[in-house]
Parts: sequence; C-alpha cells; structure tokens
Amino acid sequence: MRDKSSLDKLKKGEKAVIVDLNSNEIPPKFYEMGFLPGTEIEVKHIAPLNGPICLNIIASNSLIAIRKSEAKVIIIDPK
Amino acid sequence: MNNPIIALLGNPNVGKTSLFNRITKLNQKVGNYPGITVEKREGSLTANNKTYKIIDLPGTYTLFPSSLDEEVVFNTLVDQNNKLKPNLIVVVGEPSNLKRSIILYQQARELGLPAIFVINMIDEATTKGIHIDISKLESLLKTRIFQTNARTGVGIDKLISAFDSIPPIYIGNFDIPEQHALALAEAKKLFPLESEYNTWQYLAKGNIEFFSKETNDKLENIRGKHKITPQILQKEESIQRNKNLEQSLSSIISKDSGLKSITNAIDKILLHPILGYIIFFGVLFLIFQGIYNWSGPAMDFIDMQFGDLAAYVQSVLPAGPLPDLLSNGIIKGIGGIVIFVPQIVILYIFISLMEETGYMSRVVFLMDRWLRPFGLNGKSVIPLISGVACAVPAVMSARNIENSKERLVTMLVTPFMTCSARLPIYIVIIGLVIPESTFLGFNIQGIILFALYILGILAALGSAWLLNKIIKTKHKSFLIFELPTYKFPDWKNLLLNVWDKSSSFVFGAGKIILAISVILWALGSFGPGDKFKNAEEIVTQNNPTLSEEDLSHEISSYKVEHSYLGYLGMVIEPIVEPLGYDWKMGIGLISSFAAREVFVGTMATVYSIGDDADIEDDASKRTILSKMRAEVNKNTGLPAYNLASGVSLLLFYAFAMQCMSTIAIVKKETASWKWTLIQTGFMTGLAYIAALIAYQTLK
Repeated sequence: MRDKSSLDKLKKGEKAVIVDLNSNEIPPKFYEMGFLPGTEIEVKHIAPLNGPICLNIIASNSLIAIRKSEAKVIIIDPK
Repeated sequence: MNNPIIALLGNPNVGKTSLFNRITKLNQKVGNYPGITVEKREGSLTANNKTYKIIDLPGTYTLFPSSLDEEVVFNTLVDQNNKLKPNLIVVVGEPSNLKRSIILYQQARELGLPAIFVINMIDEATTKGIHIDISKLESLLKTRIFQTNARTGVGIDKLISAFDSIPPIYIGNFDIPEQHALALAEAKKLFPLESEYNTWQYLAKGNIEFFSKETNDKLENIRGKHKITPQILQKEESIQRNKNLEQSLSSIISKDSGLKSITNAIDKILLHPILGYIIFFGVLFLIFQGIYNWSGPAMDFIDMQFGDLAAYVQSVLPAGPLPDLLSNGIIKGIGGIVIFVPQIVILYIFISLMEETGYMSRVVFLMDRWLRPFGLNGKSVIPLISGVACAVPAVMSARNIENSKERLVTMLVTPFMTCSARLPIYIVIIGLVIPESTFLGFNIQGIILFALYILGILAALGSAWLLNKIIKTKHKSFLIFELPTYKFPDWKNLLLNVWDKSSSFVFGAGKIILAISVILWALGSFGPGDKFKNAEEIVTQNNPTLSEEDLSHEISSYKVEHSYLGYLGMVIEPIVEPLGYDWKMGIGLISSFAAREVFVGTMATVYSIGDDADIEDDASKRTILSKMRAEVNKNTGLPAYNLASGVSLLLFYAFAMQCMSTIAIVKKETASWKWTLIQTGFMTGLAYIAALIAYQTLK
C-alpha cells in the first residue's frame, strides 16, 4: 500500500485521489466545488513562493485554486 | 394580484446574467437588496398574457453561504417574509459542470420551492464532447429541462413559455444522517410547521439572519448539546449528495475524453511563475496608460461643455445669488462629478474585460501570495487596482471577498491608493516646489510623482497589516475559487456592467459631491459684516490703477477672504500652521474635503486668478503657478510654497481622506459608522503627522 500524503506535497503535473478532508473548519464550499473523497485531481499550476495551487478536478474538468494552508488538510493517495 | 416572481439561481460563470438579459430584453434595473449592499438585478417581462418580475440572484455554489452574496440567495429563498420570495426558480447550469448545479437545484426543491432546470451554453456540449440524456435527466430531477444558448437566443422562447408550469411533487434523495436524528427532533419542536429538510438546513447553517436572536440561541444550544457544528453537518450533506448523484449521473452524462482545451495552453503562459507576472504588470501598465491618455479629450470636452453652460447661464440670467448658485454651485458641482466618467468608463471596460474573459481569477491566483502577509486576500487585488482610478467603484468591488474581515480591511485601505483626483494637486505642487532638473537622466518631477504612487501602495499595505493585527475575527481566512475557461467577452454584458458602474457613481456619489459643492458655494459666497458686502468699493478704492479684469479677480479674492469660508480658514490656521500652511491654504484644505481636486480651483480663486483656471491648459497653468510662487506666507515671511510646505502638502494629500464620496460609499458598504469614522480619523491623523514631520524637518 502506498503512503497517504497531503495535497500540498504534490508537484506540478502529479495526480492523486482525495481520501479525506482532515478538518472540521474547512468551509462547505470546498465540498461543493469538488473536493470530495474519491475525486481524482491533477496539480496544474503552483504560484511561486508558497502561493496558491491550481488543481484540475478531472471528472468535471474544472480548475480550482486553493491555498497551501488548505491543501495541507486534504489527505490524498498519490498516483 | 402581484406579478409572479421568477428567480434565476445558479453557479457563477454559467451565463446566468446573459440569460437574464435575454429574458428581460434589457428591461431591467440594478439596485441593492434592502438593508445591505449586494447588487440586485431585477427586470420585468410580459409574456403568456401576464407580467413577470425576474430576479437575477447572485451566483452561488451552495445554499450554505460563505459570502455576503450567497447569504442573500439563502435569505431570498428561505425567509417566508421576504418580499422577493419567488414563485418559480429557474436553476441555470452549464454542460461541463452539471453536477454542481443539480445539487443546488435539489437543495432548492427540498426546501419546498418549485423549480425548472436550464442547461445554458448548450453549444459547449458539442465543442467539449459532452452527451446528456435529457429525458433521463428530466425523470431524475422531476422537472422540465430546457436547453438554451443565451448568447444567440436559442431556446429562450420555449423557456419563457414554461414560466407558469408547476413541476411535479419532488421527494428528495438526501437522507438526514441517523446519528443526528435526536438533534433534528429537538430542532423540529422549534419549527412545527416546517419540513424536515428546512429544519435540517436551519440546524446546519449557523446564524440565520431572519430569525430572532432567541431562536438562533436555541439552535446553537441544540448544536452544543449534541456536539455538532454547522461545518460537520454541511460536510455530511455535501458528501452524501455528491455520492448519490455520481451514481445517478453516470448513465446520463458521458464525455469524450482527450479533448484538449485551449484554456490549458493559455494558462501555461498567463500563470507562468515569471512570465505570468510580467504579463500582469504589462496589463496594469496598459490600464494606467488608458486611464490617463485616452480619457483626456473626453474630459476636456466635458469640462468645456459645463464651463460654457455655466457661462451661458450667467450671461442670460441677471446677476444675483440664485443664478450664481445655479452656475457656480450646481452646474460646476455636476461638472465636477461628470468629469470623472471617462476615467471610470475606461477603468471598468478593462476590469469587465478581465472578468468576462476569465483573466481576473488568474490575477487573484497570481497575487494572493503577495497580499496574504498584509491580511488581504488575492481577491483584494481587484479593489486595490481599481482604487488607482477612483476609490468609489473600487470599494464597491470588494463585495466578492468571502471572509468578512478581509473584506473590511480591503475596503478600509483602498482609499490610500493614488486615485486620479490626487493627480491635479500633485502636478501643481510638484511644479511649484520640485526643480525641473534631471537625476541619472530621469526627470526629477516624474520620479517624485512615481514615488507618490508607490507611497500610496505602501500606505495601503502597511495599514492593512496594522488593521489585520487589530481586528479580531471568528472566521478562518480561506481562499477557494474557480478559474473559468477563457471566453470571448459577451459585449452586451460588458456594456451593461460599465453602464451600471458609471451611473451608480454619477447618481450615488454625485448626490453628495453636489450637496457639498453647494454648501461650499454658500460658505464662499456669503460673509458676515460690511467688508464682504462692500468688497467692490473697498477694492476699487484701494486699487485705482488696476485693469478691469484684474480688478474683478482682486474683488473675488477679497470676497473669499471675508466670506464665511475665509473666516473658517483663519479659524483653522493655528491647526495647519505647524504644517507650514497659512489661512489661504487652510481654505483649500477645508474645501477640498469634498473632493481633493477642489483644492486647485479654490487656490485659483483665493489667489485671484479667476476660478476658471484650468491646470491642463498650459497658459493658465503658468499663471496659477507664477501667482502661487509669488505668494508669501504671512506667518513666516517665506514663500508660501517652498520645498518644506510643498512636501508637507503632497504628503497630506497622499494620506488624507479628502473625499466625501468615498466616505459615503464606505459607510454604505460597511454599514457601519464606526469603521467609516475610524478610517477617516486614521487617514487624516496619518496625513497630519506625516505632513508635520516633513515640514518641521525640511523647514
């Protein structure tokens, strides 16, 4: 079994499947916009110096940007 | 009978506003929701032998709100007493993201609202290789589904003909999780008449605006007792709904994979870690150039028209206070508002273009990192950039920031950005006190002007940093937003947006500018005692050799000195003396409280140059400059405008909140006198201290 990691560790171009959102503080907007367990994502862009990251939610082919601090609590299974 | 109300509900970027424009045939108006300043677009439509009221709700992803815009949607749909509670909801989705729209639709239906479903931008289904089985989707959603393309008008008539339809009974497929049954049962006692899902929503939502504090407290007690938070409940609902839909939709929607989007290719350049910033600053540079260079002729034209009109009114009406009020108070006041319209129009063309094409959210992505240390949000970049033209529309554009603290801080610091009204003052004062020489091949006056712009940015960021330390917040800061695919702008949307923004400036801020300019006119046109009344005789007696024109300028200068405004200037002289100003400059400070650019005009009057002096006209600029250069400060015996007092004035205008319209819009947007006064006090205090230090060290 591969190690679980968090979304902020991914490099540009890497894909992963979301396992869980490890926070009760995350606003529901994250779920509504597609960050749900089982969702496959790909890192498309990373802004320099720890800036936001832009993810492609593959199933809906949408681009969503979030901050590193929120990416930290999103647990993923890297591909 | 009231008109049936039809509300358009949908995610951002699904073409909802274009659809609204089509349905209402541009027969619409923009206002604000009662009590708050979220834009409300409302229109009417006559069809099916009746008149409908159409409401374009703000774009939202969910009925669990996290921004002011989303809050409005929830309140409109759920509050039984809301006057705009719709008779039918039209949920708008687009082919590539149907699932999100369907969840919104299901939430609305389970709250007991009748709804139909529209798939807009249907042409994109073909280009993106998406196949949707409409009849299967209709039976899943238990309503009729319409396919439209709002840009071309396809499908609109069919949709309108269904505005009276009553969708069949809807039974939700969201099962309230069993572990919350007890909590729900307790909450249901508070709302015996409501459906189970309604009660669940109340429990899952947190503070509900239209409930009394008592009811909200009771709900909070239930949550506390059962150790649940709105976040937990909302998360459970989202996950369950998505899971349910995933299964049902797999046989309804299919996609050809492997279609490469052009968006990807453009983003590789525009979001590039280095190139992306270079392009963004290039775009900013273009906007500045546009605002300054292209607006010139239009502004001159407006200026001339109002000048001519004032002169015409003066020539046809007999001399007296009322015609004078009309020409010098009202016409010039309105002219002072309208003259900014070209700049606002150009700015908003750029901003709307950036929004319509999808570039604006890329800017948010690029800038978030740089604004975060100051307690701002990537989305703050929009107000800050707009603030360079005018703080009034800029403060308004802070509305889409979710976090209430970041929104407040953004609105409070935006007026520090160097707005176009500061420019005339900067040009005059720099021309007076900074030598016209070069340094390392650069024009020093130009360098100083540039430095003043940088100073504005530093003041905005610095005070944001400070406010961020002071203001406490309950809500954690977060950032999540979609980067839409690039699109060609819908020109009709763009023009409407520009029209809305410029007209709300003219009619909103304009009222206040007009009021102030009338008050200033009155203070400057009347004075106590004989000196004001007999100004003409006194001046003529003392200056028997003057030409007629110089004499009339001398008279108006003498009148200002002995008007209420003049005495006011003398009253505040002790306060402004430490900054290096005399009473004449004090009058300028007072009158420019209405709007900064008034300073130059007032100075022209006080120094008897004639108040029609135009700083953009070279000849009259030379006159005003030479008069001001020759002016001696009676307190110090030195030239009134020397390096020390000039720098002091520049700093004062860089920081001070000398703008009634901004104060008015901040009050409106923050809905708080407290923050408005703190902002005005802070800015004026900072301006005073900076000007004081500058004068005392340089004199």
